[in-house]
Amino acid sequence: MIASKNRSYLARIRPGWKFGALLVLSIGLYLINSWLILLSIIILSVVLLLTARVDFKQLRMPLLSLAMILSVVFILLGLQTDWTNAVVSVLRLLTMCLLAYSVSLTTSFDAMLELFQQVASPLRFIGANPAQIALGLSMTIRFIPELKKVYLEVREAQHARGLGNNPLAVSVPLVIRSLKIADETAEALDARGYDSASYQR
Amino acid sequence: MSINTASTSQTRNTVYVAVFAAMIAAMGLLPPITLGIIPVPITLQTLGVMLAGALLGPWRGALASSVVVILSLAGLPLLAGGRGGLGILFGPTGGYLVGWIFGSLVIGALFKYWVLRNENKTVRFITGLFSVLVGGVAVIYLFGVPWTAVVTGLDLRTSLIGSLGFLPGDILKAVVTTLVALTVHHSYRGLMK
Repeated sequence: MIASKNRSYLARIRPGWKFGALLVLSIGLYLINSWLILLSIIILSVVLLLTARVDFKQLRMPLLSLAMILSVVFILLGLQTDWTNAVVSVLRLLTMCLLAYSVSLTTSFDAMLELFQQVASPLRFIGANPAQIALGLSMTIRFIPELKKVYLEVREAQHARGLGNNPLAVSVPLVIRSLKIADETAEALDARGYDSASYQR
Repeated sequence: MSINTASTSQTRNTVYVAVFAAMIAAMGLLPPITLGIIPVPITLQTLGVMLAGALLGPWRGALASSVVVILSLAGLPLLAGGRGGLGILFGPTGGYLVGWIFGSLVIGALFKYWVLRNENKTVRFITGLFSVLVGGVAVIYLFGVPWTAVVTGLDLRTSLIGSLGFLPGDILKAVVTTLVALTVHHSYRGLMK
């Protein structure tokens, strides 16, 4: 769900504005109770997505699972309250998700991270180090393929013993090997004189 | 050659957080596990979240969960099923993500200041299991269920009943977490100071 290729007008708006607008719109949507207004908003949202040349293929899976949840919600709400209410709630939820995905699909990953850093910068005052946080995030990304491989190996090895579906048999080796990787990496970083406390030398 | 112990432990902490966050992500990337006793296949991802708290302590554990949440919301398909993006936060299951962070925090705190203070294995298991159930199930559901209710318009009771389908799997994960955490703490003394 990375919006690396979107070049539309939405992609050019700063992520802070998009996210802020999303928050405001979400709250606003809760104050609207007319299905007619919600229906027009949702049509506008779809138009928005279309004009932003959003990659609809990426939306297929999330929309599908959302549709399943929405049908259950619709039936439950209709039976418990009334059908107008059910329509309103479903339209509202669908609009919120569409708008949220429109932000996701038109904002690059790096821009999103920058947004989170801005949002988190007040945390500096309770001792969080923003450089450390940025490092942690990129380190995590770097480790994901490696740990995925470890997980796969552990599952296959346990599968050979008939324990492939036993969460305990799979978790213990995974955790132990992950900790080993962590210790080795930390040692290697320190051996190179890496000072994580500051970037200025 | 002098060793700067402050940066050494800070490096170690950052690496631990990163590795555990990556582990939680990896747990969501592979297909779920099908057990005979539970009809729904379970992913180990929530187990990873609980383990992060139980093994790394409150702050590092919560950070590890936060990293996974941040990266997923930023767009990486790290959540079970290859899901990601802001739509998750604004959708019915958004509360559970926030709950992960507090769940790891609570489990970590309970383990660090209570569970690991006991040396007796049985006491450790009972207190540990209780802590994981409180932090890994109760706290996470505490954030997830009301969020679902608010977002979908369903009342709390219905949202709660809807979430009960996941309860057996989550309780099993709590048991596994306790066993794994206590096993690892036994071999890795000083993992949580």
